[in-house]
Amino acid sequence: MGGNVKSQVFKALAGAALVAATALGASVAQAQTCSVWLVENSRFLKVPFGMFHPDRSFVQGSTDARNNVNTVDLPVNVGVIKCGKELILYDNGWNQTDYHKATGTDHWSPLSKQIAQLGFKADDVSKIIIGHGHWDHAGSLDEFPNAVLYVQAEELRGIEWALNYPGHERIRATNVDKGGCSRTPACGYPPKTVDSIYGKVLRGKAVIVNGEMEVLPGVRIHPAHRAHTAGSQLLEVPTAIGKLVFGSDAYSSWEAIRDWEVANIQQTDSVQQFLAYEKCYKITGGYQNCVAAHEPLSYTDKYPLTKNSWVGMNGGRLAEITLAAGESSRKK
Amino acid sequence: MSAANAALRSLRLNARTQARRLGLWVLLALLAAFVAYAALREMRKVAPDVQPQADHAFSQQRPAHSAAEERFAQAMWNIHTDVRTAAVRMTFAGLAYKMGDGGHADIQTKVAPLTAVFRQADSQLRALDVPASMHQMRDRYSGALQLYGDASQEMIKVAQDGKDAHLLKAQEMSELAAGVLLDVGDQLWPGEIKPN
Repeated sequence: MGGNVKSQVFKALAGAALVAATALGASVAQAQTCSVWLVENSRFLKVPFGMFHPDRSFVQGSTDARNNVNTVDLPVNVGVIKCGKELILYDNGWNQTDYHKATGTDHWSPLSKQIAQLGFKADDVSKIIIGHGHWDHAGSLDEFPNAVLYVQAEELRGIEWALNYPGHERIRATNVDKGGCSRTPACGYPPKTVDSIYGKVLRGKAVIVNGEMEVLPGVRIHPAHRAHTAGSQLLEVPTAIGKLVFGSDAYSSWEAIRDWEVANIQQTDSVQQFLAYEKCYKITGGYQNCVAAHEPLSYTDKYPLTKNSWVGMNGGRLAEITLAAGESSRKK
Repeated sequence: MSAANAALRSLRLNARTQARRLGLWVLLALLAAFVAYAALREMRKVAPDVQPQADHAFSQQRPAHSAAEERFAQAMWNIHTDVRTAAVRMTFAGLAYKMGDGGHADIQTKVAPLTAVFRQADSQLRALDVPASMHQMRDRYSGALQLYGDASQEMIKVAQDGKDAHLLKAQEMSELAAGVLLDVGDQLWPGEIKPN
């Protein structure tokens, strides 16, 4: 009987110790911050500004700085996020080199080689969170075989809905216009891109997310449905300079977030895009830490978060945004 | 004395004439400066109006095609539109299944008609009048259609035995074919894909 009591006391103490250790571990994990870099996977050249940022449409002869910019070069930005031993990509650019001619692109390099400039190997990438499934954001999945893909179920259902829509072909996901396939759902999802997403799903390397999800302590996916596409999603990342929020094309333009203007309207509900902006303001306390996918001012002083930049292979730029404690600079 | 007076008068007269001339030159110079300033001002005003319209890079240029090549590209586009949609449909049949939206039987229902789409597209392609310069492209595209057809047949097998291995094999074939579609599209319809 006495032995039993002893044993029970021992078990209770051990349990309490375990609970305490778990709580301590959790609080340590909660406190973890991440290091963040931005990589320019490629650059779309001479895009008419008004097509990207309608409120900034070019007006011939205008002396207003808001309307006298004819074309802009748009970077395709990919977030590289290191949290402890986990290496996460937010978006993953594209690798279909044949698109080069089709899109008027320069400074493209395979993403796996671009992250090698930061000292990372493709096999080290453990997670890829795509802000949405368009070809220029979900196009390099095959380069990262070990990575688990995170995609919103709503994104996949949105494509399928458009695919099966019985009405007009401009709404249905059918690419009917070889010279101007913008805005309709078909344009962003070529067979190659959806096949590579499907490949991840088939190989058990995908998490199909419904709404919000914490993928690591403090690293949180927020749904931003219809802020660019049906299943757009944001990523909140804790860092030494405060929280960052990556927005993919829901945050196509940082200036648009600052000025509350829509940008890169594709399958977009403008109110939902503004709600996505508001999410960044609420999480980070302003607009400075919102990470935009195609901001023309990226890698310059005019977009301060990304100003600590340098030029890498094939003219593609990189930025070291913030380092976690103990992390050395990878800027070259 | 009168000679001296005359000389003095003559000197004064000369000075007055020179002063008048100088004044005239100064006036002329001022006028010229004003005209030059006005001209420059007008030129500056005009400058923004001559700024060219956007010449964006993805209104893509490609080497000019002959009339026969253009006809072929147009005819292929009509085929390509259906193929592309069918290819994405096939992928989504698999995705929906993996997401739990339907069972084995649904794959058969969704994919079986696509085999016919791919086979028919290949027949249409082979019936086209192909310029010699585009034989190779036609053959590559035809190969992709064969792959898509085979992939659809492979996918349907999952309805019989429930083995995901069929889906994996089909996906590999399908992704290869999708790469060919991009290659060919890049040459025939360079504006097909735009920044999104």
